[in-house]
Amino acid sequence: MKPLVFLDGVAFSYPGAPEPALDGVSLTVEAGSVVGVSGPAGAGASTLLLVAGGFAPRLTGGTLTGKRVIATERVGIVFATPWTQLTGLASTVLGEVAFGPASLGRPREAVLGAARRAMRNLGVAHLSDRDPAALSGGELQRVVAAAVLAMEPELLVLDDPAAELDPAGADALYALLPEIAAGGAGVLVATPDSERLARVARWVVVLEGGRVAREGAPGAVLDDTDVARVARMTGCPAPLPLDVPAALARLAR
Amino acid sequence: MSGFSVCWESVRFAYDGVEALRGISLDVPAGASLAILGPNGAGKTSLTRLLIGLLRPQAGRVRVGDWDVAGRRPDEMATRVGYVFQHADQQLFERTVRRDAAFGLRCLGRRADGVDGALEELGLLRVADKHPYDLPPPLRKLCALAGVLAMEPGVLVLDEPTAGLDRAGRDRVIAALRRRGAAGVTSVVVSHDVAFVAETAERVVVMREGAVVADAPARALLSDAAALAPLGLEPPPAAALGLALGLKGRPIRVEECAAALGGARWRGA
Repeated sequence: MKPLVFLDGVAFSYPGAPEPALDGVSLTVEAGSVVGVSGPAGAGASTLLLVAGGFAPRLTGGTLTGKRVIATERVGIVFATPWTQLTGLASTVLGEVAFGPASLGRPREAVLGAARRAMRNLGVAHLSDRDPAALSGGELQRVVAAAVLAMEPELLVLDDPAAELDPAGADALYALLPEIAAGGAGVLVATPDSERLARVARWVVVLEGGRVAREGAPGAVLDDTDVARVARMTGCPAPLPLDVPAALARLAR
Repeated sequence: MSGFSVCWESVRFAYDGVEALRGISLDVPAGASLAILGPNGAGKTSLTRLLIGLLRPQAGRVRVGDWDVAGRRPDEMATRVGYVFQHADQQLFERTVRRDAAFGLRCLGRRADGVDGALEELGLLRVADKHPYDLPPPLRKLCALAGVLAMEPGVLVLDEPTAGLDRAGRDRVIAALRRRGAAGVTSVVVSHDVAFVAETAERVVVMREGAVVADAPARALLSDAAALAPLGLEPPPAAALGLALGLKGRPIRVEECAAALGGARWRGA
């Protein structure tokens, strides 16, 4: 499949920072795939998303070295909190979600169709006429995600997109990611939620201190779910099962 | 610091005509640990904001210990209730993490003795001299929590304390809450993280559309998949594993599940 993002030996430093936020990072995101990013707080996951999406250093300043190819201009990014992503220009949820596709110059019917589809997928169709400013944080986060999906990006970058969502909303959002990839997009998602990441990602990159500590299939590189902890505490050999079905398959009964 | 009881009496609140709280009554004894679950927009944050007078009920009454919140100023409430917002950036004011964690104490005219202890507890001593905004958002949230813990309030109110946190940070918050619980501090935690709730709360309330739809001991509710399903919730992974294996004692926490599973034989992958 076509690589949408290709990073080879990339280092990135924020302006004035004494240490690079990323150092020697290589990453490929192909069309049709979901790639996950994991790692402790401050390891560089958010920075990697900004670099892979082309947002850094363009919007952040700083210095990028190494090879970076981003083979699409249709990039959408969803952050963990909604407040920084609202347009501030729409008085209804529908207006907010339609703003992106409308600004791409698409015909009215296509704009409304994409907006309504995205709102349905994120479970916010019932909020269509509400003022975004009067929604709860979690509702707003769904609206923001819908607004990005409505633009039908070819590369979708998500930074812990469900941190504020209820479990049903988080499951629904993560379930969309393989569907979006199946439609031909590339998806790059960072989250400390290893349970959900393992469900959707084909490949996971684990960062530590701005470097790739390990990468591979989720089951081979993640080991910090609750089920994995129970398994470790009861003497299970690696690789640890990450969820209940995997644990049941490994338990001799 | 001993805890205070918390009581909502028939409280109602609406935003511009949209009802967020439809007559809620809950009584939380001093020293109890309550978690509030529920879908986005259920009214969880609105309910907790009443505790510090950030929202005033349009009907009903809110009490913290023997105080009616309606008659108290925010600085008075801050001596009893420590509140960590969903978005920590709303409560970070200073140029270093250490100064920020001491902000609340200074505002109350108290000595900043407990600050380093709180920073250490949350793994922040190594970044104590950094600007809070130079930290990634999850650590900013811990910074806000450190400031609240340093004030040693009798009631802790945490809104989504684990959102975005990595496992190490989450473990520290769990340990901090358990320590406060053991010391008699009352806690009210709003969270979508059912596994975190299982690790920290004795009692769980589920809200939907501004009303309480379930109120039960954590172990009874979180180990009951049939009761959780209509609430849009599932048992946390440790409880789900316990249920799938028929483990005794209805474990809902990781350590409980591991103890109940003791002697298990695992196959290689």
